[in-house]
Amino acid sequence: MDRLSTSPTAKIDRDRSLRFTYAGKEMRGFDGDTVASALWASGVRTFSRSFEYHRPRGLYDLEGEGSSGLVAIDGVPNQSSGTTPLRRGMTITAQNVKGSPDRDPYGIIDRFDRWMPAGFYYHLFHRPYAAWPFFQNRMRGLAGLGTLDIEAGYDAGTRTELYLNADVVVIGGGAAGLTAALEAAEHVERVCLFERRPWLGGHTDWRVREHEGSPLRDRTLALAEETTANDRIRMFVHAPVTGVWGDNLITGFQVGPRDGNRPTDGYHERHWECRARAIVVATGTLERPLVFNDNDRPGVMQADTAWRLARHYGVRPGDSVVFSTADDLALEAAADLLDMGVDVPLVADARARGHDEHLLSRLRDHRTEVLAGWAASHAHGRRTVSAASLGPLEGGEGRRVDCDVLVAAAGRQPEIGVLSSAGTRFRYSARRAAFEPVTFEPGVFAAGRLLGFADAAAIEASGAVAGLEAARTCGCDVQTRLADVRTNAATLPDPVDGVPHVTGPDLGEGRKAFLDFDEDGTWKNAGQAAARGFDVPELAKRFGNFGLGPGQYRVPGQNLAMAMAELAGRPLDEIACTTVRPPLVPPTIATLDGPGHDVYKRTALHEELEARGAVFRRAGAWERARYFSDDETCREEIRNVRERVGLLDSSPLGKFRIFGPDALNALQRVYISNMATVRRGRCKYSAMCNDTGNIIDDGVVTRIGEDDYYFTTSSNRAGATVEWFRYHTRYDGWNYNLVNITDTLASINIAGPRSRDVLSRITDADLSNEAFPYMGYREILIGDVVRSRCLRLGFVGELSYELHFPASYARYVWDLLIDSGADFGIGPFGLEAQNCMRAEKGHVIIGTESEQRVTLLDIGMGWMWDRDDTASKKVGAPALRACAAQGGRLKLVGLRFDDTAGRTATDGPADGALVVHRDDILGYVCTTRYSESLGYRYGLALVQDGSTDRSSSLELFQDLGDGPRRFAALVVPPHFYDPDGARLRS
Amino acid sequence: MTFRITCPVCGARDVYEFTYGGHERGPRPDQKDLSPEDHFRWAQFRTTRTGPQEEWWYHGAGCGVWFSTWRNPATNREEPRGDADG
Repeated sequence: MDRLSTSPTAKIDRDRSLRFTYAGKEMRGFDGDTVASALWASGVRTFSRSFEYHRPRGLYDLEGEGSSGLVAIDGVPNQSSGTTPLRRGMTITAQNVKGSPDRDPYGIIDRFDRWMPAGFYYHLFHRPYAAWPFFQNRMRGLAGLGTLDIEAGYDAGTRTELYLNADVVVIGGGAAGLTAALEAAEHVERVCLFERRPWLGGHTDWRVREHEGSPLRDRTLALAEETTANDRIRMFVHAPVTGVWGDNLITGFQVGPRDGNRPTDGYHERHWECRARAIVVATGTLERPLVFNDNDRPGVMQADTAWRLARHYGVRPGDSVVFSTADDLALEAAADLLDMGVDVPLVADARARGHDEHLLSRLRDHRTEVLAGWAASHAHGRRTVSAASLGPLEGGEGRRVDCDVLVAAAGRQPEIGVLSSAGTRFRYSARRAAFEPVTFEPGVFAAGRLLGFADAAAIEASGAVAGLEAARTCGCDVQTRLADVRTNAATLPDPVDGVPHVTGPDLGEGRKAFLDFDEDGTWKNAGQAAARGFDVPELAKRFGNFGLGPGQYRVPGQNLAMAMAELAGRPLDEIACTTVRPPLVPPTIATLDGPGHDVYKRTALHEELEARGAVFRRAGAWERARYFSDDETCREEIRNVRERVGLLDSSPLGKFRIFGPDALNALQRVYISNMATVRRGRCKYSAMCNDTGNIIDDGVVTRIGEDDYYFTTSSNRAGATVEWFRYHTRYDGWNYNLVNITDTLASINIAGPRSRDVLSRITDADLSNEAFPYMGYREILIGDVVRSRCLRLGFVGELSYELHFPASYARYVWDLLIDSGADFGIGPFGLEAQNCMRAEKGHVIIGTESEQRVTLLDIGMGWMWDRDDTASKKVGAPALRACAAQGGRLKLVGLRFDDTAGRTATDGPADGALVVHRDDILGYVCTTRYSESLGYRYGLALVQDGSTDRSSSLELFQDLGDGPRRFAALVVPPHFYDPDGARLRS
Repeated sequence: MTFRITCPVCGARDVYEFTYGGHERGPRPDQKDLSPEDHFRWAQFRTTRTGPQEEWWYHGAGCGVWFSTWRNPATNREEPRGDADG
């Protein structure tokens, strides 16, 4: 491996060699390498093939700025080679490649660009229209990025999440960001700093140039140490920002530190969000690409790429490196490469004047030719760069020079991604030749090289100003310090000038001069977009797909706006650059998915039920016992309740107490019945409707004292009940208290003909039918200890008692019941058994036998509505009045099947089967089961009113993937089991 | 989309903690002689405004209070009542 001599800036550990494979070949890199630096060091030049034309693409940048550097690693596609650390044993493959990256037969497509103008898929291949699917499939096969292997079973590693609050958030850990954090931390308690790279220092991390007597790098490292040691500042490195949202919410992800592939901080990658009172954005600059012919050839790269390859990874970028750039940083890169022993024969600088004299003299010392006012016009070489043509921008004779790397850029553009997503507006500055931030959302500040500063002290001073401004937003008095810092900043150098050029000389029509590498968008394509009227950046972006690829805004960047101004002949200050949209850096779906915490509630009896073989299923917020055997028809559970006695853990039932002088008013408002008739010792069954008359909840209400009521809601409604009451009484100023005691109280339902016998053994209360009739309510003492509410209800159609008592006694009461019922054959039953039994009885479940089209009247419960009451302003009453006489509504009916529909659970129709008449759908089956108790299959269905004669037969249709099936059913009243209720009242 | 809402009890909190209750449209109308049209106009109709409007919010993940506040849906920021028609 050919590596340069060591540098203090190196990130690699030359004692730790890592083996990996690329394109089937075994290669070696060092610990600290990125995938890109290891590949380049191993002689790989073509990293991928381009999206449309299958042109060879190489290492353009090390920052994840586009698709050129994307590779698949261990089967996971679209990983940025420039930012992914190399790990031992990686298997790396090139993307969008047929054959090998170097020899791709689809490269021939490159010659057919004339048939693929901007937006060609919008207007070609559509005539005749039927041809489009064919071409679409062809193009999908040819174009693209990585391929996801669905069968691969990716291991996403450990993904966690982090939610933060801060006074000041600083984005960017370079000199400006570090200074801003330190200044802000003098005044506020909580500062968070997020840095995209795995280390602090920003752009100065690899610069050894002396400034005021010490290398720039040391100066920034000192700042980084001070910042890290400050316990008011929390540092996050390798933590890219994905976006800034309303009220300064910043989101991003963080790649965790690893030893090999083992996370050393508990996570491989984590999602984070931080709510800040103020934000300082110090994201620095990106290189603005130079547009010239074949500017995408492998070997054409950014100045920072060549520079960092040498300084960070000890990799020689090329044997002969030619520069065509436009700023002092690039000159410094060239001089630095020369110092490190890299041959740089020629540096073209698009600037005619304004160069750093010190750098020019350093280049002269190395006998490097510097051509001011020149730029590259062409990269030569079939697969990789072998020579470059350059020429004067003012026109005139150019020249050709052999090289294997061409460093090309048109200067620097501010990295505006974070600012743009934070709602900042930009305007073109002719002096900087860049779009600059001009108006900020409240609490957003910018600093550093992003604002054009190049001098180290000026960068830090702008950071100090921004940090103090941010602290001031948090309410701190920073007046004196800010005045001092501003006075100092005024003495420092101003932002540097830029060049307005987008293109090199001798461009021609720009057929192979790329504005955007990701989507193969050329200068010619931009012209085509302008000619078709898509002549402003936001339109050209979409029509020509500029900046819609993986690199997003970065590579076309401000070039797009500058190009459209030139092509459409508009002054730049009338043009807006495109808005950058999140995610600024693509996070993986696994990271967004996070740890996938499964959040649910268990009842106090969970272990008891589990020990008795319960099969649990999720029901709303709860994990509930659905079955107590493998038999999903629950024959034994049902028989036990029907013939003997069973126990149901009904703890999730909504349980509430409402009290106060206006409690009754509130009940009258939300319940549809006349709640003034609710009496002590009696349960009243009622329902709530919404403003469109839909039934949304049912339950019982009883009075437990003066202005004091206890009521139940369905389990799924428990969480919304307080909100509902308070919403619908919010104007009234009523004096009542509503307490949700759902989780405080356990609930056990004892059901079956022997339930009175069981209960009477553990309480002294008089349970006789006369003393405690059906729908009665008592407070009883159980086992001499537990004061329990006891409701004599009959949801499953049998004699039953519901006990509501403090959840801490749940196991005690359960054990008492099990013991005292042992000789009656007591046993638990689950939700499915309850569901079968209540449906046999014709008792509805809201949401199963009702839906958003169904009113209280439609399911036959209009009897509970207090129609004459307008004074209470009952929720839903006006809607019920309006639709009471409407025809064609869905109505609840009972269905009875004969034996052709099957005698078992599985061979008949299923819940959801359609009710049809010829080709019309008239409704659907809500619940249907085969009942042992009844001896036939029954169902509850919602069917369009008036469409059937109630005595006639209905036709049912279902197709569960095993072919269409049809059934016939008789329409009957929806009460099958014990229709007179004799068993409930026994 | 995210923003903060100021709960009169708990202070400024993430909007995720709240439930939206619609813009202010007056108390429940008197039901005596209320026509279906008037009922549904009150119950269902919503306006889309780009200026400040009075809105109802419920702090479900906090104190459980319904309150009204002035907010501009165009900026998602709480703003004092503007000159826009009430």
